[in-house]
Amino acid sequence: MANIDKSALNTLPKLLRARTLRFGDRKVAMRVKDRGIWHRYTWKDYYERVKDLCLGMVSLGLQREDKICIIGENKPEWFWAELAAQAAGGIAVGVFTDCAPGEIKYYVKDSDAKFVVAHDQEQVDKVQEIKDEIPLLKNIIYWDPKGLWSYRDPNLLSMEGVMKTGRRFGEENPGLFDKLIDQGTSKDIGVICYTSGTTRLPKGAMLSHYWLVEGVRVWSRHDGWEQEGIKYLSFVPPSWVAEQAYGIAGGLVAGVCVNFPEEPETVQENVREVGPGLLFYGARLWENINRMVQARMIDSTRLRRWIYNLFLAIGLKIADLKIENRPISPWWRFLGCLSHHAVFRALLDRLGLSGVKVVYSAGGAVSPEIIRFFLALGVEIKLYYGSTEMGVISSPHAGEIRPETCGRPVPWTEVKISQEGEILIKSQFMYSGYYKDAEATASKLKDGYYCSGDFGYIDKKGHLIVIDRMADLKLLATGQKFSPQYTEARLRFSPYIKDVLVVGGEKRHFVTALINIDLDNVGRFAEATHIPYTTFTDLSQKHQVIDLISQEIRRVNKTVPEHARIQRFVNLHKEFDADEEELTRTRKLRRSFVEERYKDLIHALYTNQKGITVEAMITYRDGRQGMIRTTVRVNTVD
Amino acid sequence: MSNFITEKVLEIEGLHLRFGGLQVLKNVEFHIGNHELLAIIGPNGAGKTSILNCINGFYRPQSGTIFFQGIPIHLLKPHDIAKLGISRTFQNIELYTGLNVMENLMAARHIHMKKGALADFFFFGPARHEEIKHREVVEEIIDFLELAPERKKVVGTIPYGVRKRVELGRALAMEPILLLLDEPMAGMNLEEKEDMARFILDVSELRRVPMIIVEHDMDLIMDIADRVIVLDFGQKIAEGLFSEVVKDPRVVEAYLGEEEVFDG
Repeated sequence: MANIDKSALNTLPKLLRARTLRFGDRKVAMRVKDRGIWHRYTWKDYYERVKDLCLGMVSLGLQREDKICIIGENKPEWFWAELAAQAAGGIAVGVFTDCAPGEIKYYVKDSDAKFVVAHDQEQVDKVQEIKDEIPLLKNIIYWDPKGLWSYRDPNLLSMEGVMKTGRRFGEENPGLFDKLIDQGTSKDIGVICYTSGTTRLPKGAMLSHYWLVEGVRVWSRHDGWEQEGIKYLSFVPPSWVAEQAYGIAGGLVAGVCVNFPEEPETVQENVREVGPGLLFYGARLWENINRMVQARMIDSTRLRRWIYNLFLAIGLKIADLKIENRPISPWWRFLGCLSHHAVFRALLDRLGLSGVKVVYSAGGAVSPEIIRFFLALGVEIKLYYGSTEMGVISSPHAGEIRPETCGRPVPWTEVKISQEGEILIKSQFMYSGYYKDAEATASKLKDGYYCSGDFGYIDKKGHLIVIDRMADLKLLATGQKFSPQYTEARLRFSPYIKDVLVVGGEKRHFVTALINIDLDNVGRFAEATHIPYTTFTDLSQKHQVIDLISQEIRRVNKTVPEHARIQRFVNLHKEFDADEEELTRTRKLRRSFVEERYKDLIHALYTNQKGITVEAMITYRDGRQGMIRTTVRVNTVD
Repeated sequence: MSNFITEKVLEIEGLHLRFGGLQVLKNVEFHIGNHELLAIIGPNGAGKTSILNCINGFYRPQSGTIFFQGIPIHLLKPHDIAKLGISRTFQNIELYTGLNVMENLMAARHIHMKKGALADFFFFGPARHEEIKHREVVEEIIDFLELAPERKKVVGTIPYGVRKRVELGRALAMEPILLLLDEPMAGMNLEEKEDMARFILDVSELRRVPMIIVEHDMDLIMDIADRVIVLDFGQKIAEGLFSEVVKDPRVVEAYLGEEEVFDG
């Protein structure tokens, strides 16, 4: 532990030890809001907890290469559990918190986990329900004891208790923790991230410490967030590779100070208190923020709306100049400065974006309108292209934001396009294969290139444009190809449309859509125009609402090729729901499943029906099922 | 369940309450023991809420005695009873709708605040220290009842189910020795009801506060109550375990037409 060779810092636990030696109690590693107050953990606090937890689990039988499933909200305990597992040579496996017991069973079983670290009573209950079917599972360790006081199960342990055991175990075995850390090598697997699986069952992508440490080092240097103490809001689930990179590895490699919100519901409030410098929001969240701003403006007074629209127009003009890489005249600079101080500064502060330096988005197409909107406010969202397996592949370089593209390939990757238009990638930082699935791993590799399964092209300036999943490109009966997701992303820009499935196919001559209206905003519209309604179903079928949606579709139709325009649509009588498997846990649409489920509706769209009666089973959170029956109107866009 | 009743927290004897010619309560007597969760059920107008109103001093019974930890309270004023450690929630939520959730809970700490108005006005030293201490207690409750996302929201703007939870929070903020809950689940949907039931059980389990619950929802009473008292036309007609009282012919008669309630 005495001499530190930089090149020897090749695993996350080694980095944690080195940072603790360097900063000890002097620098804050993480902050968490609890009981209304921000609490701090210094590097030493972080290290001590990881040490105790690690030794506690070792005393319970944790060995090298054992897997630990972690299921919980973003909290320091999540990070401690991962580092504790890795310090002993174990592997962390993240599970999404809203998974049903059956899904949890799949992850725990597939990863052969020995321990499950669970957040609270809700997660513990779910794991207990299925634990008898998982013979390998030894202990469940929870960190929030609320409601668990009276549980009497010898295999259910509190994290505090395990840490206490660990402390004692450490006193009996001095030097053991250092020895465990020293045994780690860069080739060791640190994390298994399950790919979200829009198509098949999720597969566990194994990521080595080399991937985590060196991959994040070059990435943070490349984009300039390798800064001691740059603030980051931990919000993306850590079971997702992005949080592994920014939150967990980012803290240890680049010195990012990680801030944890109090509850998932308080993120908007907390982000404002933190004022992060580094931010990663999924595509949906950017859409939601934009939707929220638009909705507030709809509610606002006429004068305010007028001022906002005036300055937004200026902002958009400047954004367009930036996008086209044209010089901005002093006059426009002046107007830009004026709009910043008059409107945008306050707005950005409200959104918690006033201090941002590096802002990312990835995973699912973000509408170019969204990128343009935030650029107008002065926030450059870097929409990059990456995957769990290959990490970051291409990303916009500074001052090169172009809404339609994912920037140029980063220096450590090589990207080429196959004859069919598939994006093929070679990277210095590749995953170590899928867990227990050599066949799937091999099938993804062709001549040393990783086959992404994404359809795209590289434009004249070398920017990568990702259109869609190869498998999701649709052919029409006319022989023309179109991308449903492309149109969907643009439709979702409308404040009134929350989700949409665009449908076409080899036997169909035109394109149609299933629309999931946004209850909040359409509800506001209904209130403002005095339309009485009772439920979501009722609201969705009001003719004024159908007209409203028609208008939105007509607007988007103008921006897509003629054959890809939506000609008929229905407003769905219910919302798409992850509990009914219509969406993945990262809120991506499961297309084939949804198409199969609504095949009667889709049939009605392609025959000349004016309406169709639907019955649908709906599943509630607690597993109960209910039935709704209603008439859905089929509408034509003219 | 008799092992629950180690010590009587509250003892009521011979309680009579009349409004003019209307006999609301007739010779009611019961007690509640430490750590006990006692439910009062009965048809509409049976006098359930009136009992709670007598206990916390809103109504003055014509005769009968109410002893709380050995102290006669049937002649005391409501605020004095509250100070002794009896807090309650209301069927129709009674919160400060213009204040936010945290302020509503802080207001309930009033009976524990010792510093005077002048010290509070200058707000330094002991007064500040006291405020922080009370805020800690309130934050514990906010965490306990999962109200963090609503902490700074004005009560008038939050949904009904959440307001019910804030009411429970306010009652807890008084750090009561006995808690009276008047229809805590009325008007809630199933999910909210289940949440509320969980919170009530947590309060009972962790804080060990004895509770008297007036509630209509039989399924729920069956799940959570240690002991049940059945009222009809102001008279106690049965008392005991839920499974026992529902078999009582008088109870069945009182509930005639609602028999199916007991099927589950």
